[in-house]
Amino acid sequence: MDFSFSPEEEELLQEVRSFLKSEVTDALLVESEELGHIYGGKEGRKFIKKFAAHGWLTPNWPPEYGGLGTSATVSFAVREEMAWASVPMIFVAAHMAGPTIMHFGSQKMKDEWLLPIAKGEVEFCLGYTEPQAGSDLAALNIRAVDKGDTFLLNGQKTFNTHAHVADYHWLGTITDPEAKKYRGMSLMIVDLKSPGITIRPMVTMAGWQTNELFYDDVIVPKENLVGELNMGFFYVMHALDYERMFPLAIYNRLLSEVAEYARTTSVHGQPLSKNPLVRQKLAQMAIEVEANRHLYYRLAHMLDNGQVPNYQASMQKLFATETAQRIANTGMEVLGMFSQLKRDSKWAALAGKAERFYRTSVVETIYAGTSEIQRGIIAQRGLELPRK
Amino acid sequence: MNYELNEEQRIIKEAAHRFLAEACSTDFVREMAEDEKGFTTELWNKMAQLGWMGLPFPEVYGGAGMSFLDLAVILTEMGYFCVPGPFFSTVVLGGLAVLEAGSEEQKARILPEVAAGNRLLTLAWMEEEGTSSPEGIKLRGERANDQFLLSGTKLFVPDAHVADTIICAARTGEAATEISLFEVDANSQGVHTTPLDTLAGDKLCEVVFDGVTVPKGNLLGETGGAWPVLNDTLLKAAVGKCAEMDGGAQRVLEFAVGYVKERVQFDRLIGTFQAIQHHCANMLTFADTMHFMTYCAAWKIAEGLPFEQDASMCKAWGSEAYHKLVALGHQVLGGIGFMEEHDLHLYYRRAKASEMAFGDADFHRERVAQSMDL
Repeated sequence: MDFSFSPEEEELLQEVRSFLKSEVTDALLVESEELGHIYGGKEGRKFIKKFAAHGWLTPNWPPEYGGLGTSATVSFAVREEMAWASVPMIFVAAHMAGPTIMHFGSQKMKDEWLLPIAKGEVEFCLGYTEPQAGSDLAALNIRAVDKGDTFLLNGQKTFNTHAHVADYHWLGTITDPEAKKYRGMSLMIVDLKSPGITIRPMVTMAGWQTNELFYDDVIVPKENLVGELNMGFFYVMHALDYERMFPLAIYNRLLSEVAEYARTTSVHGQPLSKNPLVRQKLAQMAIEVEANRHLYYRLAHMLDNGQVPNYQASMQKLFATETAQRIANTGMEVLGMFSQLKRDSKWAALAGKAERFYRTSVVETIYAGTSEIQRGIIAQRGLELPRK
Repeated sequence: MNYELNEEQRIIKEAAHRFLAEACSTDFVREMAEDEKGFTTELWNKMAQLGWMGLPFPEVYGGAGMSFLDLAVILTEMGYFCVPGPFFSTVVLGGLAVLEAGSEEQKARILPEVAAGNRLLTLAWMEEEGTSSPEGIKLRGERANDQFLLSGTKLFVPDAHVADTIICAARTGEAATEISLFEVDANSQGVHTTPLDTLAGDKLCEVVFDGVTVPKGNLLGETGGAWPVLNDTLLKAAVGKCAEMDGGAQRVLEFAVGYVKERVQFDRLIGTFQAIQHHCANMLTFADTMHFMTYCAAWKIAEGLPFEQDASMCKAWGSEAYHKLVALGHQVLGGIGFMEEHDLHLYYRRAKASEMAFGDADFHRERVAQSMDL
């Protein structure tokens, strides 16, 4: 066993940290927060292109596709650094579509897409969920009809969060409606500027925007099909095993700021941090952060040893997102009445951060598979409990 | 980073598992919980022959010169099988205290006997206040010429009723941490040991020191300077206890998962029910997090890195996670898990005993808070 970074890994992380420290601007932080930390905004693109020029957006990719050929451990650690710095940290192209293209795409597709993705030049929007297909992804309705050189698409997507800032749709669509469940879905890349696509904003309780998309006779070239026809469900599941991981550092940072607030805020003549209940709560959160750190780097360890994370990825996602909610809630409790105040309020504490995280942390236990779905995966795949 | 045991540790683990599966049935565990002595010489000697008693001690003292991480591997298997007897008190508590605090002469005299399985040790630190803080140590150690005179009462001393040597923490000054450690022959005049009847059947004792004289040469380390060593030993013991809990948690998970794959209700295996699946998923999550936190702390001890915060984090988390895991096990197993004949209650009892040992979750969270500069 070894629970430390190697000196080379530590050195690279040090470079990333100092870059983040010197290059992050206020404008970037404001935009990043307004977008819910997804990639695709103007400031974000400006910043990430510079960041990615070092190979840090996809450090574990091979050099010919714009990576540095590092361990997965490094790429996991870099994502934690990005989360701590509150820069854009949710990337569909670099973290979800890219690895699938690398595994299953044709050589032509790899050559066309991987380098621009690694450089941060394009961003995708995840196109899975539909009104009737949430947790049950196989219940898709959107239909792609074979028209020779092209597909003709009609249907509707919902909760597709990057659509208003991304360039392309990473779309799951039905290509064989007669096939059995899971066997009739394909993945394709669709230019979001294509005629026939309508994007309708849906505003979340966190303040940032997600979207509903309508496909009305949209034409997609056949060369945009990812991998083989009707294999989409398999690709999506495969990608989730590789890519289901949740950096928690943005919440670790909130925790450290709440701890600092407790040290420096006096109640009844003594710092809040001397109150035993406050001490217990903050210590408990630090302990859970540490527990999550192990679940997180176990995934990297597995990838670096040629194993495919399975239920372990679900466990980390489950644990991290529930810990995130507890940190946000603990922050609210420690700040008390002041925790409710929005950023611009005269009396706001931590610039209103606690209430923002309290709102935002709700959705993280839901997207990419609800906590219930993750527990089901842990039980069925991790403990081999029977389905029927 | 590497989250797996190395080849040698895997071999140790498998060998220990096979040996204990044979030598330590749950019938035996039940019997020993009722037994006055609480263990058999036969099992003790076999464990000694395997080299377990000397595992963490350097070879010059007759030990195997292995690391705390290796020790954690053995403790995990012992926890899996609820191994009764004074291994923990002898090797982890007494042994590590002597190794840390003892002079060359003391180590060379005591540890080879321990390693050979011929000397049983224990550590006496807790008293009436029931805490692991230095302030709670009131037992006096008065200097009288070439001797010390120990007077006071120690509580919850593990296996003192069978120990040959009690390492006793005594107050030798007024400042909170002016604590000294003494090597006390358990047969000395004035040592009165009474086993206490406990939830888990482990042998915790009251030990009254009624003006016990101890030669000056039996002082371990400097007068009044033992608190750092005692604190260090208790933190390592907390990690060692977590390793036992890790093994216990694994067994309870096996009980639950095995049961839900066989038990039919409403014409279905109960393992198909989502509520049962989610209980089991939560159990596995508790087990995995306990495991990694424990082994990270054990690894840091083995590597000579600062481990205090990790030790407190894993004991705080493990204490609660193990208890919750066993409680979920009870829920999943239903009525049969409540029966004396089922083995689950052995773990339910030990989960609580382990939670209390070497500082409970509140105690260690407070230590974590201190390490966060709160």
